[in-house]
Amino acid sequence: MQSEPLVTFNGVIKKFGAFVAVQKLDLEIHKGEFLAIMGSSGCGKTTTLRMLAGLDAPTEGEIRLSGKPINDLPTWQRDTPMVWQSLALFPFLNVIENVEFALKMRGVGAKERRTRAENWLERMQISEFATRNIAQLSGGQRQRVALARSLVVEPEILLLDEPLSALDAHLKVRMQSVLQGLQRELGITFVYVTHSQSEAFSMADRVVIMSKGIVEQVGTAQEIYRAPKTRFVAEFLGSSNIFSGKSDGNGMLATPVGKFRLPQDGTSPQKGRSTTMVVLDTRSHLSVEEPGSEFDFVHAKIIGEEFTGATATIYLEAEDGSELRVQKDHDTLAALPIDVGQPLYVSWRPNETHLVSDA
Amino acid sequence: MPADPYFKKTSTRKMLGECPKMRKRISLYSLTFSLPLFIWQVVFFVFPLAFLVALSFWTVKNFRMQPDFDTINWVTMYGRSIFWQSYGLTFAMAAAASVITSILAFPCSFAIAFKLGPKARQLAIFMMVIPFFTSYLVRVYSWQIFLSDNGIINGFLALVGLEKIAMLNTVFATMIGYLTLCFPLVVLLQLFSLMFIDRTLIEAAHNLRCGRLRTVFEVVIPSARVGLVIAALFCFILSFGDFVSPIYLGGGDPTTLSILITDTTKSGQQWPRAAVIALTMIGTLLAVAFAAIRFAYKGREQ
Repeated sequence: MQSEPLVTFNGVIKKFGAFVAVQKLDLEIHKGEFLAIMGSSGCGKTTTLRMLAGLDAPTEGEIRLSGKPINDLPTWQRDTPMVWQSLALFPFLNVIENVEFALKMRGVGAKERRTRAENWLERMQISEFATRNIAQLSGGQRQRVALARSLVVEPEILLLDEPLSALDAHLKVRMQSVLQGLQRELGITFVYVTHSQSEAFSMADRVVIMSKGIVEQVGTAQEIYRAPKTRFVAEFLGSSNIFSGKSDGNGMLATPVGKFRLPQDGTSPQKGRSTTMVVLDTRSHLSVEEPGSEFDFVHAKIIGEEFTGATATIYLEAEDGSELRVQKDHDTLAALPIDVGQPLYVSWRPNETHLVSDA
Repeated sequence: MPADPYFKKTSTRKMLGECPKMRKRISLYSLTFSLPLFIWQVVFFVFPLAFLVALSFWTVKNFRMQPDFDTINWVTMYGRSIFWQSYGLTFAMAAAASVITSILAFPCSFAIAFKLGPKARQLAIFMMVIPFFTSYLVRVYSWQIFLSDNGIINGFLALVGLEKIAMLNTVFATMIGYLTLCFPLVVLLQLFSLMFIDRTLIEAAHNLRCGRLRTVFEVVIPSARVGLVIAALFCFILSFGDFVSPIYLGGGDPTTLSILITDTTKSGQQWPRAAVIALTMIGTLLAVAFAAIRFAYKGREQ
């Protein structure tokens, strides 16, 4: 994308004693992008963010901000404000004093400080609470104070560590649009750490998926959703059917539930090699009759159903006990006998599958 | 018997309707638990205090106390300049002791709370408890060995060719005594308030460009304010009423209120006048404690 990345992680490793939190991270964060780092707890996403903020020092490797190495720069000499999961607002200061804090630390005069803080309170629509105690605010209002406190210094980059996880679902969606709006308006870089797929995919320009300290995949929401690169990503997203088996060397995959055609993308794996193939649940079909030869299929029994608005997801179990899922709209499903225990064919077109690495 | 069930019904209704009785029962229930505290307060605080107040109005004739209601003791004591001198001095020394002890204790408790590992911290807390094993009087006596004109410190000074410094029987020595009395307690009280500070607040301050030393003043101290003020308050209370240090280290000069009390009781059985001094001290401590707690929680009420 852009020529010069704002942040570069160069072979960054972070160890806590014997535990390796981040393993050899190479990552570029571009100017003005909304980057989400996603993964389950303990995957190293928060450590990555804390290293960028200067709260943890990398064990090995180099982090650059605007081209300058910042490894040895203490956090109070970096302009990398962070929004904490707990928000970390100062309870002994009122709302406007909290917002003014960073300006005060920079030696901005009292008058200018007040004006700039007031502007941000107005922008975040919390002017009326300026002299309130933090304890008197609701969760959403505190969130806005925390954002104002970090953004008042007009940084180039804002780090967010699961800031919405404490809010209820309704408020979460509203704060998501506030965050997205802010990022667009200010044009600054947001690095957003979350365990929530919906938060990452709905807000971020690019998503980084981490697992056990390793980056599994980097890409836009669409790219990752359509073509998960690794088995972990496919499982983490939970929206694909995953088939593992051995390649027979002639473009076929032998699995415990049948022999399937491998995608014809010119990367046919060698004979006998373990291979994992995935197909999206939205690209899978259901039928009572055996599908035609243009499809590959598995025989399975329905084990459950989940409504997700305009569509429903049908869960099935193949003969070897592995789980399959198919997402269809309600009209299509109405024509099928959807009952628990009902045997059906799950089918897909071979050109809609793709291979993932097993790592 | 048809009347019987009817009667039963009304009586049940009556019972349910009698709310005041139920409330009474509940308050009696809660009283059972607060009663020991209540009795304790009456027996050991209210009763002696009331007696002290009564005593302050008694009179002494021919070295004998007799029950009376005369304001003469209050008028006499409050009319003496020695009393007010001693009052001002005791107050100033106790205030100085709480400031000095707090300032000296803070780096110590800060280091224990933030710089030590969990194991070392446990050991440090244990070490802070050890001084309480020995009588305060014994610790004060041992200071005499250090501070006296031919004591350890002056002996060392003579060894390196310096002149003797008179330390025993000075305000300086009294302060050393107050520190001996209060320091471990102040460290412990400060420590417990520092240990409960949310660490992310400190990180957040650093992240907002607040340097390490500045964070101590901008975040750590305000966060721990309640504990720090209460620690200083305890030091004030202990020093204000202390008799041992002013007499055995300070040499009884200048005269603190505690010394004045003993002098008063010794000179002609003037227990009523001593009661006046004691009541003034209690009143002062109540006022200081009230003001300190108000200050500690200022801006915290919701």
